[in-house]
Amino acid sequence: MAVFTVAVKYLQGRFVASALTAFSVALGVSLIIASFLLTRGIKEGFIEGTTDYSLIVGAKGSPTQLVLNVVFRMDVPTPNILSTTYEQLQDDARVEVAVPVALGDAYEGFRYVATTAAYFAAFPWRRKTFAMSTGRLFHDAPLEPPTYEAVLGAEAARRTGLRVGDQFYEGEEMAAYLLTVVGILRPTQSADDRAIFFSLASFWGMNEVARQMEVKPLTAVLIRPKRMSDLPSLHREFNVAAETQAVFPSAVLLTIFNLLSLAEEVLAMILGIVAIVVLLYLFVSMYSATLERKREIATMRALGARRVTILGIVLLESCAITAIGGIVGLLGGHGAAYLGAHVLAARGGLVTQPFLVSALQPVVFGSVILLGTLAGLLPAVLAYRTEVAENLAPLS
Amino acid sequence: MRQFRTIFAVSLCMACVHPGLLASAEEPPRLTFTQLVDSIKAELEVTQKIKSYGGKEVEIQGFIIPAGPPDLSFFLLSRVSAMGNYCCEAPAGQDETVYVFAAKGVNILYDPLRVYKVRGVFEAGMQTDKTYGVSLFRLRHAQVEEAVGAKIFKVGEPTAPASNQ
Repeated sequence: MAVFTVAVKYLQGRFVASALTAFSVALGVSLIIASFLLTRGIKEGFIEGTTDYSLIVGAKGSPTQLVLNVVFRMDVPTPNILSTTYEQLQDDARVEVAVPVALGDAYEGFRYVATTAAYFAAFPWRRKTFAMSTGRLFHDAPLEPPTYEAVLGAEAARRTGLRVGDQFYEGEEMAAYLLTVVGILRPTQSADDRAIFFSLASFWGMNEVARQMEVKPLTAVLIRPKRMSDLPSLHREFNVAAETQAVFPSAVLLTIFNLLSLAEEVLAMILGIVAIVVLLYLFVSMYSATLERKREIATMRALGARRVTILGIVLLESCAITAIGGIVGLLGGHGAAYLGAHVLAARGGLVTQPFLVSALQPVVFGSVILLGTLAGLLPAVLAYRTEVAENLAPLS
Repeated sequence: MRQFRTIFAVSLCMACVHPGLLASAEEPPRLTFTQLVDSIKAELEVTQKIKSYGGKEVEIQGFIIPAGPPDLSFFLLSRVSAMGNYCCEAPAGQDETVYVFAAKGVNILYDPLRVYKVRGVFEAGMQTDKTYGVSLFRLRHAQVEEAVGAKIFKVGEPTAPASNQ
């Protein structure tokens, strides 16, 4: 095909300029793809990593802090509530399951989560399942002396290198309270992978303040009601109380998503401008190329090439540049998103791996080619209208 | 499509039977929480009238309580907002709570203080869901929109009680 051959020759003829243009298209596309995949990955990470429990009761304060700390182990723990709150909830006729948690210190940055065996229990309504990779769960008998047995989340075990049977502590004053690893959990794709679990009795035994307390402290209680319709009344009861608050974790996440969507809008605007800049660059490059080639085009026309053929050659050239840029950009964008997710995950963020094949990739690729062709349209028309006689005049 | 047309035709018939329940003939019938509460007699038995809406598309306006996952594939729709302080009203019970299911989730800017307009296929009567337990009223295949505020009475205009019937 003559048109194709000439287009390829044109690309080869201006190899550096064409490669640079394709590279800038690739950069633009990868930026768009990577930021889109990453924001979605972060959102999905929060959705997948959230708790199955509908309500969280904790100390008065910020609902966001309570949820971020208890569910995602991100912020600092909220102040304590009394374990009597847990006992009261367990006896409540509206409550099906109540799970106490106490958060505090950490080992090498992996948070200690003190809880009961109920935390890991499988219920028909639970999406999340816990399974032991090796070892067993810690002994959990509230009235017996603390066992100081610990169960590690998959990520915590991998990163600290602790194995079943190992003993550890952090902080000199804790040397008297050695924790022994008795089990390691399978990955759950949630913040629990980065936690170190042990019993409440062990937590209270290690904690100097708690040792002296008559009524022991807790950070929060996770609640599953017998009837969902009882949630508002439970929610109200703990919110009007002076010491506690009750929070719907999904409500907090949705509020965070609202904030995220603001940032997403700003990002979309910036990406839109990036796309325009890349298109302008492509346009300028194609335009100057066509100006440079006026003489060649006139020669081709004089040799019998039709105007439509010339139009086709220029369009094909700009289309080829954007196609190459688009493919490299798609690959690069996925690569960047993968690296970004990796870095975020290493820092304790929850990100799902953003490799979802969806409408995104074909839509971006299609629109890149379309816009690229559009950017080539004006130079192509310029080439189309090149007058043979004027441009074949001798170069003085 | 045909099913939709049938639902549409049935709602048109409903419009003739209960003209007061409808905003306009094209809209699905709107149920209020008062109607839901009134429909419940002793032993939580749902009356025939509200049951007659079963399987049909209706619209209910209320506050969203995100009791399910954060993609809002399940949530509670209630007469009372689940704000922390409950300044005005005591929370609703089962008779004032509609369990809303939206298989693909709902994409809205969630605001606990806003009233949302939820449309879906109505179901009344006790039923147990594996994940979300026992419920009395349900909306399935739900779609959510932000509701516009109530009618504003201008100065001098008689403030007639909201005509629901």
